[in-house]
Amino acid sequence: MADDNRISDEGLVSAMAAGDQDALATLNQRYGRALSAVADKILRDKADAEEVAADVLWQLWREASRFDRGRGSVGAWIMMTVRSRAIDRLRARKAREPRAGDPVEAAVTNDPSNEIHSAERRTRVEGALATLNDGERDLLRLAYFSDLSQSEIAQRTSIPLGTVKSRMRAGLIRLRDTLRGTVE
Amino acid sequence: MEHAEIKDLIPLKALSQLDGDEARAIDEHLAAGCDECERELASFNEALAEMAIAEAGADGPSDRIWSRLQARLDASRPALKVEDRATREPSRGRDFAMMVGSAVAAAIVAIVVSYAFNSRLRSDTSETSNEIAALTAKVIEVQRNVDTTGDQLAALEAKVAQTTDLTLASLGPDARVARLAGLPASPSASGSVALNPAQGTAMLEVNGLPPTPDDKVYEVWWIGEKQGPIKAGLFEPSSHGATIVSLDLPPPGEVVLASAITLEPSSGVEKPTGAMYLKGDFPRR
Repeated sequence: MADDNRISDEGLVSAMAAGDQDALATLNQRYGRALSAVADKILRDKADAEEVAADVLWQLWREASRFDRGRGSVGAWIMMTVRSRAIDRLRARKAREPRAGDPVEAAVTNDPSNEIHSAERRTRVEGALATLNDGERDLLRLAYFSDLSQSEIAQRTSIPLGTVKSRMRAGLIRLRDTLRGTVE
Repeated sequence: MEHAEIKDLIPLKALSQLDGDEARAIDEHLAAGCDECERELASFNEALAEMAIAEAGADGPSDRIWSRLQARLDASRPALKVEDRATREPSRGRDFAMMVGSAVAAAIVAIVVSYAFNSRLRSDTSETSNEIAALTAKVIEVQRNVDTTGDQLAALEAKVAQTTDLTLASLGPDARVARLAGLPASPSASGSVALNPAQGTAMLEVNGLPPTPDDKVYEVWWIGEKQGPIKAGLFEPSSHGATIVSLDLPPPGEVVLASAITLEPSSGVEKPTGAMYLKGDFPRR
């Protein structure tokens, strides 16, 4: 998830391990709102989502020296962790109505290199998602952004459980392979 | 389950869409060190992260998240210094105890800072709307804390007692401390086990564990050189996934190599059957 014109995420984590708070701020610039948005898609609560996003970046800050690059990129780790934490929080509070009057994030001026990077990434991912059929794409989104089990998804979508599994699997494999093809 | 079957299930593992038996089989396979499946899982996690960022439809910095992080940075400097020392070795037990103490101090500092924010908010109405929203949230949180001071004090006293036990277990020439690392079932979890047979104490501290289902409990294991997994205790973490609990001591004469935590039926089991969430080795003497 790095590009050649800026410090890599892994470089920022190394700087964080040395106590560089600017590196943490840069990582927040790159991922802060995405983390919050992913958590919000799961939690439907902006304040909770921001807390979860902050928790994830804080965990990375505290454990930067122990970050294991062999198990994947920084971006993958923080997105996996934010999803996991958001689902944990959702399960802990059970069902709850969305709050009225959630705060709205003010528009902020983004770093131009981040904007270019983000636009490129969005284009690439949208292209990859377009190679999936509608069923695969919808199931992937439902599986990722909800706390539903595959059986619950089958029930909700009226699709046989075996088909749900095979479509999820095929969709994710195609997404990964297409993204690999566009990166390499 | 064979390697090929496991590999077929990795995409569903990345989506957290496996049932108990399948999830357990994969966790055990990964814990056994299958690099190919580990790489496969990592590649799917990368793809899902890309999808999540693009689908979330939001890029760039978050001022409010940064405000939360900045407050934590300001409040936790002492704890971070201790953390840095902990990575340099060798008195891990003492460092851990200091880290716990510093975390309590940091929490108190955070409350004081929040009060300061409260006063500032009342007297200075020229702040930006974002700052006011953030400070208002803090004030509400502090007010809620004040309302429950009695309960908090009782909880704090219990925590101090637990922390004291943990400190005692961590100190002394016979103390051994194992750092527990999260496994694929709970990659963000962490913890420590302090074992001090001379003092007859063994304590566990964990963070970041997911809540247990109604019919399940976490079970702690000593991994002995002779007997393999030996029961050490059961626990359920707080809503934040954290706890400090005392453990049963391992049998006399057993050399404990490591400690692990698995998810088991609520009554506990004699040998591990569920997915492993945390594991760590004791330093060799």
